[in-house]
Amino acid sequence: MTAHLSMDQLIALRDDDRSEPGMGEALQHFAACIHCQSELEQLHQRTARLRALPSLAPSTNEFPAVHARVTVARQRRSRAAASLGLAIAATAVFTLITRDLVHPKRLDAEQLLQSEITQSQQLEHKLTAWNSDQRVINGRTAILVIQLENKIAQLDAEIAESAKMEQQAARVENEIKLWQQRVGLMNALVDVHLSKAGNVGL
Amino acid sequence: MDAMSLPDADAVIARARLGDPVALEALYRAYSTPVYNLSRRICRTTEDAEDILQETFFEVCRSIRNYRGDGSIWGWIRSVASSKALMRLRRNKYRDTDELNDEIAPARGASTALRMDLESAMDRLTDTARAVVWLHDVEGYTHEEIANQMGKTVSFSKSQLARAHTRLRNYLGEEALA
Ligand SMILES: [Zn+2]
Repeated sequence: MTAHLSMDQLIALRDDDRSEPGMGEALQHFAACIHCQSELEQLHQRTARLRALPSLAPSTNEFPAVHARVTVARQRRSRAAASLGLAIAATAVFTLITRDLVHPKRLDAEQLLQSEITQSQQLEHKLTAWNSDQRVINGRTAILVIQLENKIAQLDAEIAESAKMEQQAARVENEIKLWQQRVGLMNALVDVHLSKAGNVGL
Repeated sequence: MDAMSLPDADAVIARARLGDPVALEALYRAYSTPVYNLSRRICRTTEDAEDILQETFFEVCRSIRNYRGDGSIWGWIRSVASSKALMRLRRNKYRDTDELNDEIAPARGASTALRMDLESAMDRLTDTARAVVWLHDVEGYTHEEIANQMGKTVSFSKSQLARAHTRLRNYLGEEALA
């Protein structure tokens, strides 16, 4: 009598898999061996028990976090394009200013504005490089991220609005304030994503 | 599963494609439990399963525009979920040798007191063997599909399935009836 069937052969028998080698001989053995017949029956029962295991349901609702991440990903894509536009618009002011009489106070303001924009852009790069919209977040973080993203979007609208101001000096003054707020929010966003949500104080 | 858990599936999918959050949430409600169950059965911990649930639906929301409707929506969501679960296993990679598992398995013929229930026995399998037996025997994936998702060969998938059943048989303390 040939050897009992291997587990591979029993599974091939269960699944009617003809590609398993040596099945002809195995079938002959199987027909005459109660041990192997019993093993196959157990395999069937084990499979049925696996399929009958209760369906496990999640205890948390992940949808708010999913929705937050989808929204953030969308906002970030449009912001990447928009904020570049805002920075270019702001830089255009400098050209106008420097074309005027070079005023030391205005030069300071110009430098300050430039440095805020640069900082904001660096933080934006940091978030993108870290792929913050691709990471799993919890419900609390999701709420914070959405709040911050919305505030940044609001600020961007204000910055765009500011570009319409007639008076150049007042415009620079206003934009410095707005970009400073933007840097603050971007920092908070980086913090939230680095799981320092507790420090954000929103 | 489709018709039962998602009435008016076509309309919901059409709206979800346009990014309608209500439709996306309807998809989540209909399929979060099977996605979670698959993830939890493959990855063993609730934390991993919750992460995979979120990852899966994030991907579903982003990519539903690419779903062509040529298979069932559940088939598509499930393939996203299983690939996320397998990715998680690769990332964790903390237990994929089973020498240790063999030591703690009851010897053949051990007393019935030592027999494990099926869930504990599944937990003791290596990550790969557990994933293969679940995907093949419960979810109904073919060895070709599993091999594809795992980046392995068909014979690898087959041998992992046989290994899983041999281990389960021993852990459950099953004896041949004759
Ligand atoms: Zn036999």
